[in-house]
Amino acid sequence: MLQDDGYKGVWVHIQHEEGQLTKPTLEILTAGRKVAEKLNHSLTAVVLGHEVEFLGRKTIEYGADEVIYCDDPKLENYLCLPYTTVLTNLVRERKPYAFLFLADEIGRDLAPRLAYRLKTGLATDNIELEIEDFYHVPTKTVYKNLLIQIRPDFATRVAKIYTPWHRPQIATVRPGNFGPAELDETRRGTFTVVKTNLNQEDFTVMLKDLRHIPTSPVQLDRAQAVVSIGLGILRDGRGNPRSSLEGFRLAQELAQAIQEKFGLKTEIGASRALIYAELKELHGLVTLDRQVGQTGKTVSPEIYFALGISGAVQHRVGMLRSKKIVAVNIDPGAPIFQIAHYPIIGDLYEEVPRLTELIRRF
Amino acid sequence: MIIVALLKGVPARTTRVVTVSGVLKREEMDIVMNPHDVKAIEAADYVKRRVGGKVVALTMGPEVKLAPIMNGLYDAQVEGVDEAIVLSDRRMAGADTLATAYTVSLGVKRLLDVNRNAVDEVIRLIEAVAEKKILLERSKELYNSNLIPNRIYSTLPAVKQSTISEYVSGRISKQDTLSRLDKFRESLGNFVIVTGVKSTDGETGSVGPQVAEALSDLYAFLVPHITYVHDFDIEPSSNTVTAERKISRIIQILEVKLPVLLTISPGYRSRVAPAGFKKEVRENNYKGKVRDLIKWDATLIGADSRKIGLPGSPTLVGPGVDIGRPLSQKILGRTFVFKEGVGSLQWEGQTYGPFQPGDRVDGLPDPLQRELTDRGLIQPFGYQDLMRELFGEFNASR
Ligand SMILES: Cc1cc2nc3c(=O)[nH]c(=O)nc-3n(C[C@H](O)[C@H](O)[C@H](O)COP(=O)(O)OP(=O)(O)OC[C@H]3O[C@@H](n4cnc5c(N)ncnc54)[C@H](O)[C@@H]3O)c2cc1C
Repeated sequence: MLQDDGYKGVWVHIQHEEGQLTKPTLEILTAGRKVAEKLNHSLTAVVLGHEVEFLGRKTIEYGADEVIYCDDPKLENYLCLPYTTVLTNLVRERKPYAFLFLADEIGRDLAPRLAYRLKTGLATDNIELEIEDFYHVPTKTVYKNLLIQIRPDFATRVAKIYTPWHRPQIATVRPGNFGPAELDETRRGTFTVVKTNLNQEDFTVMLKDLRHIPTSPVQLDRAQAVVSIGLGILRDGRGNPRSSLEGFRLAQELAQAIQEKFGLKTEIGASRALIYAELKELHGLVTLDRQVGQTGKTVSPEIYFALGISGAVQHRVGMLRSKKIVAVNIDPGAPIFQIAHYPIIGDLYEEVPRLTELIRRF
Repeated sequence: MIIVALLKGVPARTTRVVTVSGVLKREEMDIVMNPHDVKAIEAADYVKRRVGGKVVALTMGPEVKLAPIMNGLYDAQVEGVDEAIVLSDRRMAGADTLATAYTVSLGVKRLLDVNRNAVDEVIRLIEAVAEKKILLERSKELYNSNLIPNRIYSTLPAVKQSTISEYVSGRISKQDTLSRLDKFRESLGNFVIVTGVKSTDGETGSVGPQVAEALSDLYAFLVPHITYVHDFDIEPSSNTVTAERKISRIIQILEVKLPVLLTISPGYRSRVAPAGFKKEVRENNYKGKVRDLIKWDATLIGADSRKIGLPGSPTLVGPGVDIGRPLSQKILGRTFVFKEGVGSLQWEGQTYGPFQPGDRVDGLPDPLQRELTDRGLIQPFGYQDLMRELFGEFNASR
């Protein structure tokens, strides 16, 4: 059953927008680079589009060893079916060992369809990738150098996913977990142009029109510091109910102090439990686009504050890459403390104003 | 029109998830309908109000657990579902998205086959010039089983001219009758499948696109899909769906001819079906609401046992992973750290240090720690230490 023969190389699917590599794409190059180096394989950037050859070349400077470039006016805008056809043909011809996609609206649309067509496995939403040997107990077989796909699973834990028998091993990667690849203008690599081979049927779904939407003013993923609040704002340390607005204001003041004092772009984040509580006082303030976690945004700022957040695994997977994590919680056993660099065991109604004050005087 | 809503049962409380070596044991948990699938039912409902037909809910998993959920769907939304099917078989357990998509696609195919067979039966009776009584009786049975719509046969007083009634009363010829039936039979291929964007337990969002691809394997044509649809409409005269979906900062407006599979985003709000199509909708509708949960096993849907359940799954779920413990944790007021810089320290031939202010003490041998305490060189990690470590680098750069 094993189809390992001849499957070699790590591929990443490159996304671009308005003539630029997107920031998450730079992350997928980091992920791909890491895996390729562990395997001692080359890293191939697969670029589909129209008149974006220069972007293909750019991926070499960001870590690709090889670029496969497919140019076709019909590939200018992403559409699942033609992209699936092009990628299927490439994979069948060139047999990569692993193929990585971004876990976004494109990758989540494209990777499943491609994986089914190739009859191979797909692990979505990975927060980490490793290369390890895998021992399959029932058959007493060791699979060497398997791609270990690490993702939140069943919403309660983080698990390893393996694709032992099928190639390529396909994975989507969550942005926010790998950090952008670094630019090195001296890097050299090979550039291969491949002819596309599209069928009429691939255009069953037609693109009628496009509309640009204004970017949300909330840009959690670009913030340098994130101050997040959870259900802990509802009561103070003595258990007395507090207005959620009061808690929100404290967080906002802390955020403002950081922004003003150090010039760090700071945003307010929130746990899902707080957002879903749909508190009247927080209407319009704690909106869906502020949710951090598995079903919200993944953030990796310089500094992350978790204020009154227990640190459920779904929350943690969205922020654990933050460089410095400060957690304020009255419960010394709160799971957030497992990953906090700076646990503060205490009442946020006391600690947060103190931190704000300290920052102002710093 | 056959409108299929693909639904999933998910653990009610994700805190009590029972897994055995990475495989969910759904039999042992409380199961509810995947919250994202509510939008699929809303969308299915809209299609039925706009075009007419029947909404068939299809799910896969242990029948005992899913039956209560499926039985609650008949009265959901405005129209509710008309039929519910559960693909249930021990052999289907442990399926990943690929094996699930394969299994579900066979379920959809069987659904269409069963409906085609019903029309074929009517066609055969007419071709064989069966007695009118037999034709009427059989048609009524098929109608009551929800297999032929009002357009073909009806007991509704409002539907005056069904194909069969017109044929029986001699108003249309055998030829015309057969051609109408053929046309209807063909139209069964113009189905719509809707499902939620993802499930709250697996969270992959892969099954929708994979079912579309799996159906494309079963049929000689491509069944397309559109994911994350937040708005769509359907035009029955041209069998076209127009759908909007967001990609990053762009909204794509897509057009597709039926059949199609749509995954419906949580932001979807169903449109108001335009007035003026009541008659068509009614004719396309079926009797509706067959309240017997239909159960199909792997054999019945013709599944290859190597392609379903655990054996048909290319991915394996491994052990849980401990994520992201920081290398060095400093608890405010509790972790002892150096107050000031201290040069190298010696203890039993080993050298430690040098140390920076804020470095942790707890790695050092106990006697050294005591000595440092006595010399007043260490203290609990305090607010000033925290400020320096958090913001020192940013302060310097300003
Ligand atoms: C499929 C799925 C996906 C999910 N996705 C996400 C997601 O993306 N993001 C997310 O955040 N959650 C997500 N969740 C929800 C998650 O499981 C938790 O329920 C949620 O994160 C808890 O939010 P919380 O920490 O604010 O609330 P709680 O768990 O109630 O924690 C409140 C904390 O505040 C502390 N506290 C109370 N008072 C004070 C005080 N005065 N001072 C200091 N501390 C105080 C308490 O000790 C407690 O630890 C998801 C769940 C599921 C099932």
